[in-house]
Amino acid sequence: MIYLDHGATSFPKPPAVRAAVGEAMERCANPGRGSHEAARAGAEVLYRCREAAGELFSVDPERVVLTQNCTQGLNMAIRTLVKPGDRVAVSGFEHNAVTRPLHGLRARVTVAGRRLFDWEDTIRGFRKALDRGASCAVFTHVSNVFGYILPVRELAAECRKRGVPFVLDAAQSAGAIPIDFGELGADFIAMPGHKGLLGPMGTGLLLCGRKPRPLLMGGTGSESERQTMPDFLPDRAEAGTLNVPGFAGLEAGLRLVLDRGPESIGREEAALAAYTAARLRKQGWEVFHGPHQLGTVSFRGGEDCQTLCDRLAGAGIALRAGLHCAPLAHKSAGTLDTGTVRVSFGFDSTRADADALLGRLS
Amino acid sequence: MKTFFLTFRSITQAQRAERAFAREGMGCTLRRTPRWMEERGCGYGVEVKCPDLKTGLQVLRQEKLPFRKSYLLHADGVVEEVRDDLP
Repeated sequence: MIYLDHGATSFPKPPAVRAAVGEAMERCANPGRGSHEAARAGAEVLYRCREAAGELFSVDPERVVLTQNCTQGLNMAIRTLVKPGDRVAVSGFEHNAVTRPLHGLRARVTVAGRRLFDWEDTIRGFRKALDRGASCAVFTHVSNVFGYILPVRELAAECRKRGVPFVLDAAQSAGAIPIDFGELGADFIAMPGHKGLLGPMGTGLLLCGRKPRPLLMGGTGSESERQTMPDFLPDRAEAGTLNVPGFAGLEAGLRLVLDRGPESIGREEAALAAYTAARLRKQGWEVFHGPHQLGTVSFRGGEDCQTLCDRLAGAGIALRAGLHCAPLAHKSAGTLDTGTVRVSFGFDSTRADADALLGRLS
Repeated sequence: MKTFFLTFRSITQAQRAERAFAREGMGCTLRRTPRWMEERGCGYGVEVKCPDLKTGLQVLRQEKLPFRKSYLLHADGVVEEVRDDLP
């Protein structure tokens, strides 16, 4: 199979990741509960994962909360910062993992910046929304539909200047764009472990600049006499047994990303997207391509997107069609009525993969 | 060389302390805190060998790592709570 759906999850997982998962299943018991060797091995796995994330994102290991996925982290961050009725600024390219929690909280959402690949429009939109009294901002680093890299440094600076807390959704950027937690000054950065960080599905990270409001309450293996959740990180946000084999795999994935460097990974993915976009356009497809684009490109044509995607799947080419759980992004780009077909490159994608797709589509 | 037991609120803090001591060449072991030392129930500690408490705590300060209590483990098995005398 030619796999070009890395925006959904990186696949197949590297051998080092698979090996780490298997080893943890053999060696590790529940961490932070017992003092025996297997429990200690489990605790060591979790700490090593936090350390590797700390190294990649320049953050202390205690501030790395281990989650099930990016969505869980975003929910925790949003529920910490947003009260019902609050005014919140978001970009025009947010995923439902951001917009649904905000809708659930009955937040008053201002969509800031809807023009694809246009940094000026995005920055201007946020300035306006923040000046109109947004008490929080949530923005994606990279659109999961179009690969548009938002000007997050500038948006972070605008928030910091006004003292407005913000959350960064790094679902598509973690592992492909360098992120410095301290430099950005985010209140929270949420990311999946299983996309650009190459870990198993069912893993995610929430980097915390402040104490989050827990989504779950329960055992943490610490301060057990108290009936309130611990007030310190990471325990406050990690009730219940964690996915130790998953985080063993995630640590292995993080080490691979650290070895190769996110900048280099992202550059190669972006080059493949640009190569593909140019040739798709020549073939007559409507292609969404522009400056500030990472390794994802969307296109559409005369045929229904899902039908086309199914046909390609039948020919051994894995893409994703539809709305990609991001109706807001499609509305912004004017593709809500049809959706798009998304090609998303990853860690081990090659020019040959792109050529195989292009050959099928020509 | 004396043996101290330093307690922490979370296993993650204790693990970070374990790393910091190891970097400084101080032998240490991570353990769960005995129940009588932990009034809130369930905690973690690091047993560390160092010349004096000040040296051990200096390592934690450099890491900006908060600890709860410090104990001196005597060779005869007596455990004595000792205080940080750093300014």
